[in-house]
Amino acid sequence: TEWNVSLWGQRRAFTEHVEKLAELVEERSGGEFTMAISYGGLSNNRENLDGISIGAFEMAQFCAGYHRDKNRAITVLELPFLGVETLEQEVAVANAVYAHPAVQDEMAQWNARILMTSPMPQYNLVGTGEPRDTVEEFDGMRVRATGGIGQVMEAAGAVPTSVTATEAYNSMESGVVDAVAFAQHAHLSFGTIDIADWWTENLNPGTVNCPVVVNIDAYEALSDEHRAILDEAVGEAIEHYLLNYAELLQRWDEVLLEKGVQKVQVDQAEIARLRGNADPIHQAWIEEATSNGLPGQELYDLTVQAVADNAPE
Amino acid sequence: MATTSSVLTDGTRLSRTDRALLRLESLLNLAAGITIFALVLLAIANVLMRKLLNAPVPGYIDWTEQFMAIFAFLGLAYVQREGGHIRMDLLVGSLKGRVLWLFEFVSVLLMLLVVTALIYGTWFHFDRSFDFNAPNWSTDSSIDIALPLWPAKLAVPIAFAILWLRLILQLWAYGRALRTGDPRPVAVPLPEDPAEQASKEAASVAD
Amino acid sequence: MDQLIDMRALLDGVDTFTVSLWLSGLLLVLVVIGVRVAFAAAFIGFLGLALHFMGNQGFDRGLITAAKLTGQVPHSKATQYALSLIPTFILIGYLAYYAGLTRYLFEAAKRWIGWTPGGLGVATVFATAGFAAVSGASVATSAVFARIAIPEMLREGYDKRFAAGVVAAGGTLASLIPPSAILVIYAIIVEQSVGKLLLAGFLPGLVSALIYGGLVIGLAKLRPDLGPAIGGFTWKQRFEALPGAMPILLVVFIIVYSIYFGWATPTEAGALGAGVVLAMALWQGMRWGQLKGALMEAAKLTVMIFAMIWGVLIYVRYLGFAKLPEVFADFIAGLDYPPYAILLMILLVYVVLGMFMDAIGMLILTLPVTFPAVMALNGAEAGGVGALGMTNEEAAIWFGIIVVKMAELCLITPPIGLNCFVVAGVAQDSKMDISVQDVFRGASPFFIADVATVAVLIAFPGIVLWLPGLMG
Ligand code: NA
Ligand code: NA
Repeated sequence: TEWNVSLWGQRRAFTEHVEKLAELVEERSGGEFTMAISYGGLSNNRENLDGISIGAFEMAQFCAGYHRDKNRAITVLELPFLGVETLEQEVAVANAVYAHPAVQDEMAQWNARILMTSPMPQYNLVGTGEPRDTVEEFDGMRVRATGGIGQVMEAAGAVPTSVTATEAYNSMESGVVDAVAFAQHAHLSFGTIDIADWWTENLNPGTVNCPVVVNIDAYEALSDEHRAILDEAVGEAIEHYLLNYAELLQRWDEVLLEKGVQKVQVDQAEIARLRGNADPIHQAWIEEATSNGLPGQELYDLTVQAVADNAPE
Repeated sequence: MATTSSVLTDGTRLSRTDRALLRLESLLNLAAGITIFALVLLAIANVLMRKLLNAPVPGYIDWTEQFMAIFAFLGLAYVQREGGHIRMDLLVGSLKGRVLWLFEFVSVLLMLLVVTALIYGTWFHFDRSFDFNAPNWSTDSSIDIALPLWPAKLAVPIAFAILWLRLILQLWAYGRALRTGDPRPVAVPLPEDPAEQASKEAASVAD
Repeated sequence: MDQLIDMRALLDGVDTFTVSLWLSGLLLVLVVIGVRVAFAAAFIGFLGLALHFMGNQGFDRGLITAAKLTGQVPHSKATQYALSLIPTFILIGYLAYYAGLTRYLFEAAKRWIGWTPGGLGVATVFATAGFAAVSGASVATSAVFARIAIPEMLREGYDKRFAAGVVAAGGTLASLIPPSAILVIYAIIVEQSVGKLLLAGFLPGLVSALIYGGLVIGLAKLRPDLGPAIGGFTWKQRFEALPGAMPILLVVFIIVYSIYFGWATPTEAGALGAGVVLAMALWQGMRWGQLKGALMEAAKLTVMIFAMIWGVLIYVRYLGFAKLPEVFADFIAGLDYPPYAILLMILLVYVVLGMFMDAIGMLILTLPVTFPAVMALNGAEAGGVGALGMTNEEAAIWFGIIVVKMAELCLITPPIGLNCFVVAGVAQDSKMDISVQDVFRGASPFFIADVATVAVLIAFPGIVLWLPGLMG
């Protein structure tokens, strides 16, 4: 069996678990079950679910925030200020939500079954000028932040500003935006860190959720042996991902030092005020999900509970 | 400025159908042009409002991408009617009469095949983003401010369907020319030598 | 159906790579017999996908999967934000003409540099270079200047071939000096920063203009009968000509200023420029009929270009499933020749193809295969320097400028050279006795200038990479 796997961009920390999975599966099936990973050759990143649904390839990665209406249930994981602190916690919370029948039903409409998550660190802000570490200082700040993070910033008086990721560097350099919210690896690859003056270490405003899914028909057509190999490899693939990302985060501290970027610790009282702004957004999510026939309250409670249960010591 | 069309007309039903379709096609192409114009204005508004009022157009990129579907597709049939889609006419430019009409017929037939597949495929692309029971009828949305994508996706099969009609009409016209051997048939763009073609290009920038 | 045609059996023993080569050959045949390129490419792409999925899923399901996959490409590829610039760049060209910018620009260039040998030719080169700063399309630039510059040169007794050739070649500068539709298309296809590519084109565009100017002066010195110097303008007259040409400078200034001082992203700055030119055109008394005409023409050209983009990308999607680019890239990387020799071979292929093809079509059609090959040729590690002496990102930008220059070259080479056709068309339209052959003959020396430009850019990649390097 050969599976086509649709990813995008280039091989990077964000795709290491898929690469590892392919390696493990091939090894353990004695080369009988292989995965051909393509970076952008099979689909656009925003159409990976479509490709799974029509049976164009067997496995793919996507981010819920790229198209919230395609995957309303898992967008609960992208709500701002859920309080997730580590990648391990992120994995546990995602798995709890993925196991909910409402999520599985919604994915099944795309003929998709979630195999694993791709834990992303919190989208902390990188910015130019004086560090912004109070709610007052967010007032009037032009920030590149999409979706829920943009909304919560807006509630605090910031101005969400629409620029593409590839233009983020240029926009920051020229002052079109004052700050950009990305995960660390994106701050590195889009170069925003190169001209930044500060980075919020503990603001933790939220993140995106990016599952790896398989086509249900293809999954069920696997021999029992191959399916077992695949299922069992997931844990190790995630472990590999976490180890690899931890190295990247270690390098992150060096980069900050090297570029002279100040680590900003936002006061807990200020974060609490921002979380207050997030509450109406959470409520709105619950209501919208419910009106859409999803168990909104249940999914939300499940998420909040999982965050609490898996909090780092 | 108006491009002189090299499509002949007469009183036949074929030619009248051609002109009726042309009215629709021109209208859609003009809508595409006006959209281009509107997007220029939107971009300027975004820059000025951001700089002067610190209030950029929310979801500016999302909006732009939605409207791109209009100017990228609505003019498809109009351009085909005018014979504008890029091709290499080294060979067909040297052909005349029935042989030429045969080549044109086959060429349009191939287009018809792929456009049929495209109508099917783009329709389902729309269909996956649309659900009567979902909020905003939407099952696919833009990244920043979650605009429903189905209106833009619906524009595509519609544009292809109009192109499909245009291709049927051209098959009819070429088929008739093939039968009658008419050297200057109506309702299809007539071959021009490069110079003729270029003088039209030139006329398009004349005062 | 599945029993009747078992694609698996049919394709047994024929590997996907071979099939993809055959289909690519068939695409070439379709293009040669005159099928509209966008649809020929879409057809072959669909056919290839159909064969691919029939092999895996049987006839019926395979066909449906292929059609659905094909149907994804037009919307998803055509509605990418960076491509929104293309119609803007096209519209600017039409509007600038109505704003009278071109006429003033040529007059100013004439008064300031007409005193050089072949002075009006040199003036044309630099006026087209100036106009290039607001126009994003070569063909439109040549069309506009043919109307203004050629009659004046003929009046002054210039050789008609020479006059027509300068205009045809000068038009190509519009695609290097930003804004440039073709550079945006390149950036989209190879997934590089649009802003960096636009900046990268600026200095090569100037170098190219200088080489053109030098060539004109050289030719005029060698053969004074080509055209006299046009002197005798007083400094007063020279300065009087400037205000009319100022708007171009104003547009350029606004674009540069707005990017530099945080008013706009590079993408938005293009729209700002269009807005200024539009205001000027309206100021000059442009009427609704003219605006409508400009919008119709801009929409038409836009659809033609976008159809090429999604049509060819359907074919590319098929290649993705057939894994042809990877195989070709591996083949190139495995060749036992020096990297620059291989690069030279690729460029030679472009010269040959360029004789027969349209610039944008050629680029879109070839890049999916040549770009990965050139990247493999450079073969740098992440952040490191490769065989071409640059990082992979630098190589991507550098190759973009080189390949766009090659594509522009094809606009002035026979038998199919759009700029030359357009110039001849304008000439005939205005009752000048200039044939297509005359224009091709007149443009032929510029072929040498273009080869020289490409050689300079290969020898000194810094010319390309310096400005984008400042962007970080
Ligand atoms: Na230009
Ligand atoms: Na050529």
